[in-house]
Amino acid sequence: MSKPSSFSLRGRRALVAIKDERDLSIVRRQFERLGIEICIWQPGCSLPCRPDVMLIDDEFLPLASATQRTLPARCPVIALLGTETPSRLKLVLELNPASFLVKPLRSAGIYAALVIAFEGAERTNELKQQIVKLEERLRSRRVVLAAVLHVMHSHSVAEPAAFALIRRAAMEQRKTIEQMSAEIAANGSLPRATG
Amino acid sequence: MMIFSRAQLHRKSSMAKPSVSVGIICSQSGPYQAMGREMLKSALMAVDEINSHRDFDFALVAHVRDPRGVISEYHTACDDLIRNTGVEHIIGCYTSASRKQVLPIVERTDRLLWYPARYEGFECSDNVIYVGASPNHNVLPLVRYMLDNVSQHVFCVGSNYVWTWETNRVTRELVTATQGSIVAERLLELGESAVEHIVDEIVRRRPPVVFNTLVGSSSYDFIRAFRAATTAANLDIPMLSCSLCEPELKIVGPASAGCITSSAYFESIRLPENRAFVRRWKARYGEASSPSVDGQSVYVAVYLLARALRRAGTSNVGEVRRAAAGYRYNSPQGPVWIDGDNNHCVLTPRLAISNAKGQFDLFWEADAPVKPDPYLTQLDVAGPARETSRKRSSSNPPHLRIVK
Repeated sequence: MSKPSSFSLRGRRALVAIKDERDLSIVRRQFERLGIEICIWQPGCSLPCRPDVMLIDDEFLPLASATQRTLPARCPVIALLGTETPSRLKLVLELNPASFLVKPLRSAGIYAALVIAFEGAERTNELKQQIVKLEERLRSRRVVLAAVLHVMHSHSVAEPAAFALIRRAAMEQRKTIEQMSAEIAANGSLPRATG
Repeated sequence: MMIFSRAQLHRKSSMAKPSVSVGIICSQSGPYQAMGREMLKSALMAVDEINSHRDFDFALVAHVRDPRGVISEYHTACDDLIRNTGVEHIIGCYTSASRKQVLPIVERTDRLLWYPARYEGFECSDNVIYVGASPNHNVLPLVRYMLDNVSQHVFCVGSNYVWTWETNRVTRELVTATQGSIVAERLLELGESAVEHIVDEIVRRRPPVVFNTLVGSSSYDFIRAFRAATTAANLDIPMLSCSLCEPELKIVGPASAGCITSSAYFESIRLPENRAFVRRWKARYGEASSPSVDGQSVYVAVYLLARALRRAGTSNVGEVRRAAAGYRYNSPQGPVWIDGDNNHCVLTPRLAISNAKGQFDLFWEADAPVKPDPYLTQLDVAGPARETSRKRSSSNPPHLRIVK
């Protein structure tokens, strides 16, 4: 299945914590137009749904740490700002907002805030996955280094040639260089070339 | 009894109807002056009809402002109408840039702008009534038709502003979903007349279809040059438009024939309301003159406002807005009403092809008025269901119907 476009918001679910009735009614109307399902939430209460996005009014800040822990980690937050004072912004930053809206709300801006939040969250998640991958590779560098040194000794070749041998073996066996290196380090030898 | 707010109600004599001041903002010069003039003609015609009609026990007083196509002057004109003339309702603006100039003032002062033009969507102000077509009325049926019946590979040429950008974005999404392609995307500045290099490229590359989103004089220059060059090269490349109208066909001349056009209004619509409208139009502006989609939309806007004023019994913005929602009007373009969910107009999309007589031959229309979808929430680019297919799970499915 292809990932949903950030421009099409129909069918998404939003958790909404807004104090002011007028702001809430504007969000409700705009969400109806966009086909977004709305779940009203009072911070401190349990979450009424599994949201795709959260709108959190700065009036509710700071959230109790127990409440903050219950928020789904990968779900983008849109902060509703009543004031731009640094003290308030500091609390807002604790939510790590993907986007924001300035109160009093109007219909204009809500769509853009949502699109930017979804797209930002998508990109952040991709980056996080990339970081996990890179960290794994970084951890296995030690194993790769050991394998390279081993092949340098056993084949009497310089480091670039040793690495090329390992890479070729990994490709032939459809393994990552890190997996291949771990095998070399464990077995004490390069696997025989196939074909 | 009518309860018009005191500020807006001026009874000149015991016999005269009470009056409601209405602002009208139409550019009478500048790059889209042709359309601005058509819009003003239609607005004044509607105002005169309402003022002489016994069904309306009030008169509209039109306060006309001409921003001359200068963006910043829209703000000035609107500010003057609200501050100095004290109007609550303003009809006008043509481009989105002009609407965006006026938007902050009407929102801050809680007035109502009756915006007649079709536009690219993605806006929904409580202080605007969007009378023209939404993107699901206008762009979608045309691109669906192109993909189903003409080609999946399209050459796009348009004016360099938001209408073209967004139309091309939607076109690209739909075309890409069907494994088609945008052969090229060429943009010209508003009012630019140097079109030859684009026409040369089209003749050289021979795309199966050209989608023209140019506006005003650039479009007229382009269509003439395109027609001359493709005829000389013995090429038959269809052209699509979602803005051409009858007065423009007259300006362009014979080269304008054969353009596949999407619109909510054509002069050739065979409804009794439209035939009567065209008769009145020609009686007023001359046998050779034709109403246009934008002009007709201004006419519809004035009527929607007048009918809402009558229903509300007051010119109060909130009450007029509520009165307009869902209040059906059998207009020249067929039944229309304002969707209370988003302040946009429910109307009937149509497709037609321009002929050598400067008119459009209709070949498709939705079989019922279609709910406006300004955020294209119902657009499903990848889904097999088409707006023009017979079975669609939408709340308001338009069905294919051939117009004879």
